[in-house]
Amino acid sequence: MEAYEPVARPVVQVIRPSARSETPPVEELKPKIRVRNLDFYYGAFRALHDISLDIPEKKVTAFIGPSGCGKSTLLRTLNRLYSLYPDQRAEGEVVLDGENILTTKQDVSLIRAKVGMVFQKPTPFPMSIFDNIAFGVRLFERLSRREMEERVEWALTRAALWAEVRRKLHQSGNSLSGGQQQRLCIARCIAIRPEVLLLDEPCSALDPISTARIEELIHELKSEYTVVIVTHNMQQAARVSDYTAYMYLGELIEYGPTDTVFIKPKRKETEDYITGRFG
Amino acid sequence: MSAVVSPMTSAISPANPLYRSRKRVNVFMLGVSGLALVFGLCWLLWILGTLFYEGGHALARAALYFEMTPPPGADGGLANAIAGSAVLIAVATLLGTPVGILTGTYLAEFGKRGWIAPATRFINDVLLSAPSIVIGLFVYSVYVVRVKHFSGWAGALALALVVIPVVVRTSDDMLRLVPNSLREAAAALGCPAWKMILSVTYPAARTGIVTGVLLAVARISGETAPLLFTALNNQFWSLDLNQPTANLPTVIFQFAMSPYKDWHRLAWGGAALITLTVLALNILARSLFRRKD
Repeated sequence: MEAYEPVARPVVQVIRPSARSETPPVEELKPKIRVRNLDFYYGAFRALHDISLDIPEKKVTAFIGPSGCGKSTLLRTLNRLYSLYPDQRAEGEVVLDGENILTTKQDVSLIRAKVGMVFQKPTPFPMSIFDNIAFGVRLFERLSRREMEERVEWALTRAALWAEVRRKLHQSGNSLSGGQQQRLCIARCIAIRPEVLLLDEPCSALDPISTARIEELIHELKSEYTVVIVTHNMQQAARVSDYTAYMYLGELIEYGPTDTVFIKPKRKETEDYITGRFG
Repeated sequence: MSAVVSPMTSAISPANPLYRSRKRVNVFMLGVSGLALVFGLCWLLWILGTLFYEGGHALARAALYFEMTPPPGADGGLANAIAGSAVLIAVATLLGTPVGILTGTYLAEFGKRGWIAPATRFINDVLLSAPSIVIGLFVYSVYVVRVKHFSGWAGALALALVVIPVVVRTSDDMLRLVPNSLREAAAALGCPAWKMILSVTYPAARTGIVTGVLLAVARISGETAPLLFTALNNQFWSLDLNQPTANLPTVIFQFAMSPYKDWHRLAWGGAALITLTVLALNILARSLFRRKD
């Protein structure tokens, strides 16, 4: 890596003037997930090349990069979602709490319950708002009616949706607006109290108001959860994340504290991308 | 460049010959498809018209539903055939639907790897288009010949074999229409596959699967060929499926081929009744689909 002097004025200074100045380097924090030498294949196509990074506990880590760079693929290895498809495979290590989840004998359902995920498009199940949330909880916990009601209210409150749906909990989840559906999916995800939250472009289908709500929510969730967010929107990455990984063509180009990546990137490719002079 | 593309000679005008010839082709094609529509509908309406013209009187008589099939020259109805048909269809649906839905589920949800699912899908499509008389002969040779008499069970079995491929095909198609994102969302919550199928993909595909079953029922309510070699017919009231069982299609076949006027009337009545039932089932299936949209 050669020394490089950035020329453009970074976005971060404009949109996050009060950015916390000192975010410690990743290496100094306790990692929740350790990725080592990860390769990923869709059939014969190699989508990830030798990725290694540590995702720090109770911080927000963003994956950015142009379409097709492998950021969603990387996210989908963190809960082994790819193993739903027979022609997809990963090689290397993804260590969650000391255990390599790529090779573990542990049931993949348990890993996925511990690592929650919210998708680009809202995916409410074809059932009531209440059942959408209770569904995941019932998989692992036997709660009384009363406890379940409390849990549903708790999850919807955390997802900033309770006030809007409290009177219509028994309507179909599909009756909500797009932004509400997405918050419902976040509520469904945190209701089972995972330790890690994977967000795959959670705001790309939403209007700015819903986006702002979800970003606030990410800020609040950070105190309890390790959050990983994939986003196309660099301002969003700058606003919500503590650490940013820039990926290009299946490789990890640069990874570090968000302020550093945005203000003083070490690689020219990174700066070209974040200043919009890409390609 | 400006000489070639001048704003003064804009191509977008009603006088453009390309535009005018496209309009002419449009009018011509619209006319041809309209004629084809009229031609097709004409036969359909003719069939329905004849059916209700000839069978309408019989349909309106209460005796049709309460009296047994008569000997020639006597008064009677189709009560035993209606009841027999109802029982045969019910048993065939109960036998065929679970097999069909479970096979469809395997194809759509578990058949991603290997050759078993594509092979099954192919064989099922062959079965779907197999002439139903072949199915009748099959059940005749493996069941009726062994037990040495015609029976309602053999008829129900033959009809079930007609139901299965229809239900397999629609369940498979409808389950594959459920977006993968829903399956991923369920899996991401730590949901095992069986639970995901029961609680997420079945409800999402429910109307489609139910429609498939209704269409299968409509299909077998008119099937005659599989019953000729299996359930045969019965002049008397009998719901014992170990006996030959009366049913509308065979009665229509038998009565229509006879030389007796009153049998002909009953056959027309039976034909109109089957058509009405199928029509009702189709409307029900459609309205189920519409409610979803």
